[in-house]
Amino acid sequence: MPDWKRLVRKRTRSLSLSPAAKEKVIIELSDHLEEAYESARGQGLDERASMRHALQEVGGWSVLLAEIGGTRSEEGSMNHRTKSLWLPALITLLGASLSLTLTQFLGPQPRLVWIGRLGMTFYWPWLASLPFFGAAGAYLSRRAQGPTRVRLAAGLSPALIMLIVMCLILPWGLAIDGLHFLRLVAFGLGLITWVAIPGFALLIGAVPFLRESEPTAHTIV
Amino acid sequence: MPTTKRIRSKIARGSADLAILSLLAEQPLYGFEIAKQIGERTGGALKFTLASLYPLLYEMEAQGWVEAHWQANAAGRDRRYYRLTTTGRRQLAPLREEWRSFFRALDALAGVSHA
Repeated sequence: MPDWKRLVRKRTRSLSLSPAAKEKVIIELSDHLEEAYESARGQGLDERASMRHALQEVGGWSVLLAEIGGTRSEEGSMNHRTKSLWLPALITLLGASLSLTLTQFLGPQPRLVWIGRLGMTFYWPWLASLPFFGAAGAYLSRRAQGPTRVRLAAGLSPALIMLIVMCLILPWGLAIDGLHFLRLVAFGLGLITWVAIPGFALLIGAVPFLRESEPTAHTIV
Repeated sequence: MPTTKRIRSKIARGSADLAILSLLAEQPLYGFEIAKQIGERTGGALKFTLASLYPLLYEMEAQGWVEAHWQANAAGRDRRYYRLTTTGRRQLAPLREEWRSFFRALDALAGVSHA
């Protein structure tokens, strides 16, 4: 019985993958060859013919190595989740943050809405720009074949991150100042100003990209 | 001719996606079994080598269409089983439709019936 693992290890020496990833590939490929060999033996072929039959299954070591190297290295540097969620979310977040900074420095004064002693600050030009960033996030995620919920998360990422930040801040505020009704109201108003309304604006932009894309025409070139 | 080769490889590549996803939609399978079943069920018309099968499986895994897990068989040999994910399942319907319309178009043009 040939040592398939040894043979595959030798043939894949030039494969540039991490040792762990390479070992998995070696195990999988040698298992395939071993089974092809055993199947040929089961059909009555002698050892030599069975080995030749199994090796024909490879379809060219150089092609195999080039193809696996290509797909696995892409996977290593940027996996599906990175392409469909983290990268679109980061771009959306950076875009929305930059837009807010520019609005604060260059735009008109924010509109303050007073509710009792508490004020809500609205940067209208910033809010108006958010649908574009929501659209960009969802579009980039769809292009990377992210499922609907991932596209939604990518498009709404600035609002979701703000929600997480506020939820982390609240317990600290309560621990320092104690539980005050006014603080809870301020938290609620903060949620509306920085999470709900921006989230809605982002959602407007993201919605067209939440549906599955239409199948494209055949490109035979 | 290089162009012909490219057309052939594109068609083969597209059909390979559909073949693998359709098989995995039925049940999780490991590499050898995928190649074997495709060969048997197409009467040998479609044949996968290691060089055509595994890069495709790894790419599908990277795209989130399939998930892989190691499972030992009765003999204690580790096998890497591939399972279709929800994302992969969603790819299947448009891919089938794409091939249907491709065959319809080809049939209208060249009288190549797929039925």
